[in-house]
Amino acid sequence: MKVLFYGRLAEAIGPELDVGESRGCSVAELRERIVAEHPRIEQVLRNNRALSFVGERQVRDDYRLSAGETLEFLPPVSGG
Amino acid sequence: MSIVARTEKRALRPEQELAALIERATGDGAVVSFTGLARGVSKKGHAVHRLVLDHHPVLTLQSLQAIASDAATRFEVSHVHVIHRCGEIEAGEPIVFAGAASLHRRAAFEAADYLMDRLKTEAVFWKREVGEDGSRWIEPTDTDHADRQRWG
Repeated sequence: MKVLFYGRLAEAIGPELDVGESRGCSVAELRERIVAEHPRIEQVLRNNRALSFVGERQVRDDYRLSAGETLEFLPPVSGG
Repeated sequence: MSIVARTEKRALRPEQELAALIERATGDGAVVSFTGLARGVSKKGHAVHRLVLDHHPVLTLQSLQAIASDAATRFEVSHVHVIHRCGEIEAGEPIVFAGAASLHRRAAFEAADYLMDRLKTEAVFWKREVGEDGSRWIEPTDTDHADRQRWG
């Protein structure tokens, strides 16, 4: 399963990560799994500063992923 | 009522956007616009060469449209116009244009102010400052968040 990253997260570990079979996993579980492999992004990913999206809709940490879904993590945004 | 909200990959020309907004404002009594420039100095006083704005292929445009639409609903304006740069922006270049037209001036002033407070904190961009002291990611300041809170 693909996880996409943006901004400082993409700079730190790349824009895309294959986390293997993740059907039924919650967003929280995937956050922990990714942080374990990439501790550099712990501060942004673990304290919920990075919002999670599936199919362009924001999802909460207890959301469980289905087959074929792509999870996206968006760090804090800044326009203007 | 009309809403223009989009990203711009190439140079943003505020004078053209303002002219387009004025042209739409037939019958209105006011046009207010704001142009944001890429600042050439960092918070620490170091020279900034450019800003790099990453964006999301779908959510960025959605966020601009939602903010513009909210402004159009909230204030008595007839036109809302938001253009936001993405990609590399050299210091001194325009990064954002936010404008509104209305029958009376107060609504247009307030709408432009509201647009910028929302854009600073909610528009889906990731902004990196590149300058003489390297590269660093920029996030909204406490002041930006306080400004946003003024609108509830």
